[in-house]
Amino acid sequence: MKRDVAAEIVDSLKEAGVDFVASLTEANLHDLVMALGEDTAIHHVPVTREEEGIGICAGAYLGGKKPAMVMMNAGFLLSANALATVCIHPGIPVLMLIGHSGGVGEENAGHATVGALTEPVLQAMHIVYEKVGRFEDIRPTIRDSHILARSSRRPTAIVLNKQALR
Amino acid sequence: MKRYDCLRAIARHFGEELVVTNIGAVRHEWQALRPHPGNYHLQNLGLTSSMALGLALALPHRKVVAFDGDGSLLLNLGSLATMANQHPRNLIHIVFDNECYESSRGAPTATAGQADLAAIARGCGFRNVVTTKTLSQFEEKFLSALKGNDLYFILAKVEAGAGDVPAAALDSQENKYLFVRYIEKSEKLKILTSTLSRASDPQTKSE
Repeated sequence: MKRDVAAEIVDSLKEAGVDFVASLTEANLHDLVMALGEDTAIHHVPVTREEEGIGICAGAYLGGKKPAMVMMNAGFLLSANALATVCIHPGIPVLMLIGHSGGVGEENAGHATVGALTEPVLQAMHIVYEKVGRFEDIRPTIRDSHILARSSRRPTAIVLNKQALR
Repeated sequence: MKRYDCLRAIARHFGEELVVTNIGAVRHEWQALRPHPGNYHLQNLGLTSSMALGLALALPHRKVVAFDGDGSLLLNLGSLATMANQHPRNLIHIVFDNECYESSRGAPTATAGQADLAAIARGCGFRNVVTTKTLSQFEEKFLSALKGNDLYFILAKVEAGAGDVPAAALDSQENKYLFVRYIEKSEKLKILTSTLSRASDPQTKSE
């Protein structure tokens, strides 16, 4: 991810009202995670495992924050039970920004299976998601996905195409 | 000592503290002892510490108490590292360690073997860590944490067994709404979004 992409995402999150972000980094998310750590308007919590971040975001929501979770798709798959029991079951929103490994253009053979499973699992969990691969789509998609998460009291996801965002 | 005895010993010291309970019998015991809209009963094994951390970070002026279990915390050991690094000074993490998966018919957990959750918390960077084995010691350490202004980890080594209390009549969604409305009122916050009424808007009437 280029630095200007990372800056656009951070700025869009703030404009949408997000003030709390949990994250677990990866090579493609590095610039975003570092930018989140430097931003004083967002409370940034780097976590050790993605489902931990879902729990932290849910707790922050109950305390009045507007949280988001930044992670790769492998971490989303790991978080399925946390999303079901902590968010969907009681009705707690969280905006997820999911870096998409294993999509078209993927060179790492090990990521292809996770990539192929990501959208079917989002659909199976009835999580509304948008795929973003163009710079100009970042801001409106973050705004709209955050609005839907808050109004529906459900998790929503933005799947970031890592090839296009590089 | 048993978990219910511990809860009964400290319940009278609670005012407006926020509580996150682990899945299992602890939520029924606590709801019977302290029915309060500031109780949040999690329907998940593992994320009690993380929910409590998020809540404590969001409301740094409110005391947050987590009632966790050994089986739950063993699922989410990394949360101890995150908690210690974030270091909220308004969070008390209590772990009732009965060395078994009590709600799942009692098979032993790793703490029945070699694992020591207090040592793990220390290793993750917690500065205030205590292991309690008697009721008076537990109550004393809890009170000291309640009065303090720091992050605390209290391990209560307990015998397995649940208190004789009725099941908490609280649905998860109902619990969430009651909790959120209580936070909105006590903190003067707006958390739940409202659907706008267009009934009085002349521009939309003609549509």
